[in-house]
Amino acid sequence: MRLVLLDSPDEVRRNFYPLALSRPLWELRCGFSSLGEKLIAKVGAGDVAYFVPDYMADAYRTKVERPLRLRSGLAVNDSSVLDGDDLLIVDPRVKADSFNVAGRGPSEVGLDEQGDVLYARVAKADLAKLPTGDIGKFIAAAKAKLPNVRSALPTWQYIWDLVLANAEQITADFAAAGQSGVEGKVEQPNAIRGSKKDVYIAPGARVHPMVVIDAENGPVYIDQDAEIYPFSRVEGPCYIGKESVLFGAKCREGNSIGPACRVGGEVEESIVHGYSNKYHDGFLGHAYVGEWVNLGALTANSDLKNDYSTVSVMLDGRRAIDTGSTKVGSLIGDHVKTSIGTLLNTGSYVGAMALIMATGKPLPKFIPSFAWFLEGVVTKGFGKGKLYETAKMAMGRRGCRWSEAEQAMWDAVFEMTAPMRNEAVKKGRRVMLAR
Amino acid sequence: MATVEERVKAVTARVLKLDADEIKPEHSFTVDLGAESVQSVELVAMFEEEFGVEMDEDAALSVETVGKAVEYIAEVCKQQGVDVEQ
Repeated sequence: MRLVLLDSPDEVRRNFYPLALSRPLWELRCGFSSLGEKLIAKVGAGDVAYFVPDYMADAYRTKVERPLRLRSGLAVNDSSVLDGDDLLIVDPRVKADSFNVAGRGPSEVGLDEQGDVLYARVAKADLAKLPTGDIGKFIAAAKAKLPNVRSALPTWQYIWDLVLANAEQITADFAAAGQSGVEGKVEQPNAIRGSKKDVYIAPGARVHPMVVIDAENGPVYIDQDAEIYPFSRVEGPCYIGKESVLFGAKCREGNSIGPACRVGGEVEESIVHGYSNKYHDGFLGHAYVGEWVNLGALTANSDLKNDYSTVSVMLDGRRAIDTGSTKVGSLIGDHVKTSIGTLLNTGSYVGAMALIMATGKPLPKFIPSFAWFLEGVVTKGFGKGKLYETAKMAMGRRGCRWSEAEQAMWDAVFEMTAPMRNEAVKKGRRVMLAR
Repeated sequence: MATVEERVKAVTARVLKLDADEIKPEHSFTVDLGAESVQSVELVAMFEEEFGVEMDEDAALSVETVGKAVEYIAEVCKQQGVDVEQ
């Protein structure tokens, strides 16, 4: 059986921007791992293929071919995988914990209430009925020709759903991992509160003296080669990813950090993707932060409104979406850089590659991708070329390479996000002219 | 209609808070007129607004003097079909 992860249509993917601008939905993280890793583990698939939006196919292919990520039968946007084996095609919005469809069985197509395909199980014997050259046509034909069933599988709807579910997911992932105890190095004196069976410190991890690990309200998992500096307090549920470093951080409950992040200050109920830095003081709460982000000293986000009303977020810069939650922080895309003292409003959207120079006031709630926010307005700044140079430099410092495929993907993102950015630049020009 | 040079000087004076009469073609925006990097971005934005053109950021921001800015903007206006007084 081959598992095929098929990314959602654009109109759905937009609900997961700015993170989904540069990755398929299954690369979003919650708890210890990505949504894709959870689905693969749940299905027990050894053979996995991927269909991503065309503009990111080459870049994604480059990423998944990194040696550590290699899986057998790996394929990206290769229609030949639609032949030769039983298939289980799954929409990555489906929550893995609830996914209860057997990999093998008679063909069936699971549809949600709107009639959208959540999964399609296609027995090898039925493949001859379907056009295998194009995934879009393949799914449409499967829906038309194979038995349909109404599926009530729960799905992720918006990017903030992952943040709000993170603490619970960490607890579930800790239980599933089935590991506890100290395999790394813990220097004394330090304190572990709660049950030691709710703490796991992986081989190669180092916990310096004067660290408090508080597992009283949830488990703490410190992954391989992570390092916790003195005066850090780590409250569970919490996952500190491989090679991440906490610098005297007040790491409150519900965080998933890393791999290879550097984090200080106060962080609460947030997800931080790999290679991002929040080295200094400043509060980050109920936030989702992408890769290669650098949050300058004293960057802080609000995650609760003064009147305790529910937080709204603008994913497109125009329409506010009520999250239904009183706690939502910032959604920060890949390669964002903020200056010292940046103040992010409740439910802020900071587009990928945006560069922020703080003014002392809270930022507008929507900053488009590739925006240079200078002197209180969105500008074209020094252009995307300078942002690419910065990205290359940041990646090079960590031994990673900026590829041509990656640049082509970002060029496409630049074009896709131009209307919102141009609108914000025009607004900024009006402000400049009025000064 | 004012010439390109007069308009460039007027915009520069407004953004950098200078007297337009004191601005010379040979003046460097940064060394002589004291433009900070953020003001350079604002200058490019205001030149685009003044002349109704789109400029390439890298090319525009590499222009060092007022005189070179006049030449560059005149060329961009020509390429983009915008009539200006030379």
